Amino acid sequence: MSGHSNLLSWILWMPIIGVLGTLLIPRTKETMIRVWSLLNTVITMALTAVLYMKFDQTLPGMQQALTEKYAWIKQFNIFYHLAVDGISLPMILLTALLFFICILSSWTVKKQVKAYFALLLFLQSTVFGVFMAMDFFLFYVYWEVMLIPMFFLIGIWGGENREYAAVKFFLYTFFGSILMLVGMVALYFVTGQGVDSFNILALSGGKFTNTTVEIFGMVLPFAKIFFVALFIGFAIKVPVFPFHTWLPHAHVQAPTAISVILAGVLLKMGTYGFLRIAFPIFPSASVYFADAIAWLGLINVIYGAFCAMAQNDVKKLVAYSSVSHMGFVMLGLAAMTVQGMNGAVLQMFNHGTSTAMMFLLIGILYERSHHRWIVRPDGTKGFGGLYTQLPKYSIVFIIAMFASMGLPGLSGFISEALIFLGIYSKFTTITVLAVIGLLLGAAYLLWMFKRMFFGEVIEECKSYTDMNAREIFYMTPLCIAVIVFGVYPAPLLNMMKASVGKLVSLLATF
Amino acid sequence: MALNYLASISHYVPELILCLTMAGLILIESAYDRGVKGSAKGMMYWGAYLGLLCSFVYLFKALGTEPLQIFTRSIVIDSFGTLAKMIMVLGTAGAIFLGRQSLDIYEEVKSEFVILTIGVLIGGMLLVSANNMLLFYIGIETLSILSYVMASLKKNDERSSEAGLKYSLYGGVTAGLMLFGMSHIFGVLGTIQFTEIIPAMAALTKAQALVLMPAFLLFFVGIGYKIACVPFHMWSPDVYEGSPLPVTNFFSIVPKIAGIVAFVRVTNTFFGGDASIVRETWVVLLMIASALTMTVGNVAAIGQRSVKRMLAYSSISHAGVMMLGVLVIDDLGARAILFYAVTYLFMTLAAFFITSFVQDHYGNDHFERFNGLMKKHPLMSIVMVIVMFSLAGLPPLSGFVAKFNILAAVVSKKYYVLAVIAALNSVVSLYYYMKVVRLMVFKDAESDEPVKGFIFSNQVVITVIALPVLLLGVFWEKLIVIAGGAKIFLQ
Repeated sequence: MSGHSNLLSWILWMPIIGVLGTLLIPRTKETMIRVWSLLNTVITMALTAVLYMKFDQTLPGMQQALTEKYAWIKQFNIFYHLAVDGISLPMILLTALLFFICILSSWTVKKQVKAYFALLLFLQSTVFGVFMAMDFFLFYVYWEVMLIPMFFLIGIWGGENREYAAVKFFLYTFFGSILMLVGMVALYFVTGQGVDSFNILALSGGKFTNTTVEIFGMVLPFAKIFFVALFIGFAIKVPVFPFHTWLPHAHVQAPTAISVILAGVLLKMGTYGFLRIAFPIFPSASVYFADAIAWLGLINVIYGAFCAMAQNDVKKLVAYSSVSHMGFVMLGLAAMTVQGMNGAVLQMFNHGTSTAMMFLLIGILYERSHHRWIVRPDGTKGFGGLYTQLPKYSIVFIIAMFASMGLPGLSGFISEALIFLGIYSKFTTITVLAVIGLLLGAAYLLWMFKRMFFGEVIEECKSYTDMNAREIFYMTPLCIAVIVFGVYPAPLLNMMKASVGKLVSLLATF
Repeated sequence: MALNYLASISHYVPELILCLTMAGLILIESAYDRGVKGSAKGMMYWGAYLGLLCSFVYLFKALGTEPLQIFTRSIVIDSFGTLAKMIMVLGTAGAIFLGRQSLDIYEEVKSEFVILTIGVLIGGMLLVSANNMLLFYIGIETLSILSYVMASLKKNDERSSEAGLKYSLYGGVTAGLMLFGMSHIFGVLGTIQFTEIIPAMAALTKAQALVLMPAFLLFFVGIGYKIACVPFHMWSPDVYEGSPLPVTNFFSIVPKIAGIVAFVRVTNTFFGGDASIVRETWVVLLMIASALTMTVGNVAAIGQRSVKRMLAYSSISHAGVMMLGVLVIDDLGARAILFYAVTYLFMTLAAFFITSFVQDHYGNDHFERFNGLMKKHPLMSIVMVIVMFSLAGLPPLSGFVAKFNILAAVVSKKYYVLAVIAALNSVVSLYYYMKVVRLMVFKDAESDEPVKGFIFSNQVVITVIALPVLLLGVFWEKLIVIAGGAKIFLQ
């Protein structure tokens, strides 16, 4: 069943070629390193564009023509198995785009340039690995390896409290994934160590509904126990309340580009894990726990919004708004209906673009102000009247803010509307309460906007310069994305429809 | 198949080479004045390496041949033991190299260090290939008695003397208990020959089997002490701390691996055959012991100031992880242990090597000494980062694969709770391993002047040691096939 095309491998390993290149360039030639990295991400983007062309939207499940499968460790039946379907393709496209933008936004990084770009490109490769791997072992390896560049990127280039944030992030996610490891090994033995024991696609379909497991003499359902193990692993990544406490620290301390990647792509890996692994492999348990997931999602929405409202640090505010928005994704997943699931996957993409914009904009502002206080700890205003000082910046900010708020005509609206359509029939109470979350979202964003952009121009803000050409250049694709997909989401929906439909019909049988 | 004495000798060449090497080294040492530098010293080391190399080559040739019982069936030559011996020979070579560099061993006792390591190695090889209880005892004693001397190699240092004394007192008591246990076992089973034990166990009545239980427990005390398993671990932090650093490095590799491997053989011999209540009880006991060993080692490692002591505690927890492979009592467990031993060897060597250099360079090995090492010596720091992450079990490094294999062995027996305990322990261990990385990479040092004195040959050696840590994380199929082929000879 080996592949007809090695396109996925090219995309996966292209950033590694970039890493090797940066390592060969002498550390003093900083511009050369930057240009090389940029070039590398452009090539990767071009390759993903080819992938999009080759992708057959009518097929549910994996694209046979693009699948690659080679033996890695025969003793354990571990394969180097890459494939894409309609759920992973939007994520791959998003990853390629965001890393390109991040390289551009990192142009101003001065500290240890060589190591920074090498780690960033390495991170990109591991993220691709997570979204492409169809072998559970391979998936796990990429899932974990990703922590290493993240740890260094936050810890070396982060803010004042970076060490604490890096350690917390690392330990938290490692804790989650190690439980997943036990679950993975258990699956391997329950399926009899056969050729398909690590094959995510072959494991799925509810084979373990009636399997039991004995712990301390109690006979327990296998599916439920190990669904919970996987759930914790993925939930920490999303992050689902109460596993979210690492996120505000990591976001606030991380440098701009890393915040963008973290919010834009890494959080989606958690929900992608549900879609790819937890739901298909344990459909019965997923249906069983759907209520719990929905309620947790609701807590995320409301709690995240309230936390965001209380923040004085604008980056922390956006970080909590991510918690709130990922709650919508969880709600869409829990619905397990066609609209809900499609909405969830669409929200994963749309949140990726809109939050990335928010973090990039905060980064741009930070480079001028060197602080992020809406209200300083001593009670004075941190920003004021930015609207008159930075007109271009303000327009982009308004687009980003409204997209993330879910204003009709922009991308956030479509996905949230789909999610609400999907969950209404199943969880009416939760739907009503979640709408309050939407309202709260509008409240904290508008309030933040009012405090920063309107009112008296404070003295400090007068010296700020507006966005330069480079900044406008890298914001443009994201602006286009939120507007176009807000008006015409069909390209994205067509891409994912068949694959999501397959998953929904699987879940419907339980 | 049993062989006569003359034929036996031809299968005992690796050990004999080492005996000759040891004797030769003693001769060289006594023929030259103490403190003579240059050629005589060089001869010591080259002689030792040559002996180890020859022994390694012979072991390699013996790998995969039919299992044999030699010297009137008192020693068994099987691939399982042979592979373990190869690992120990490599470990000894690494320890000798480190011993030559380190300032922690006084110049005038350096040659003694070399001689003693080879002596301990011979003891360890005897232990892993023992085929009856008496030889098992002799092996463990050869290993221990020389170790006591090594622990107190820093003659003028109080803590080193304390370490030696503690080690020998503890060792004496546990050896006595073990011998007592063995005599009980002989009383019940009527044999000391390992190969006769499986049928003898099968013939026991239930009451007789229960009588064996305390005897096993006493037997276990002796082995448990050697591998520093909780609750027999009390000696180890003090001994590890007091001993000179290369000795600590050696202790955490060779005697530990010898102990674990011998433990696998014994457990498989006694419990491989039956599925009785005795086996169940024994497994539960080992489960508790291994869970405690992992947890105590890890929790204690968190609070340490000295990197050497942290590594000592972490080696306790690694022994706990390896015990997981013992208690599953099957080939999967044995394979996982051999794989673990190989990776553990390289990781430990590299970690101690760097710690030793830092200690010699700055006078002590406290965590602060690692501050900002990344800027001062990038190669050394990168190796240390790789090793630390590998010890914590992060992919794509070999430590992860080793841990995965152990977990697989545990889960295959459906010991899920134990697997979760092991998994959570690696999160705890990540915390303190990460501390070293954090200090090296994130912190700024007091001064930015580059570290000098880490000569080129050392850089080459450290890279060579670190390469398997990286490569075995991705290309581990070959090794797992070799380890899987190394079967234990039971009857």
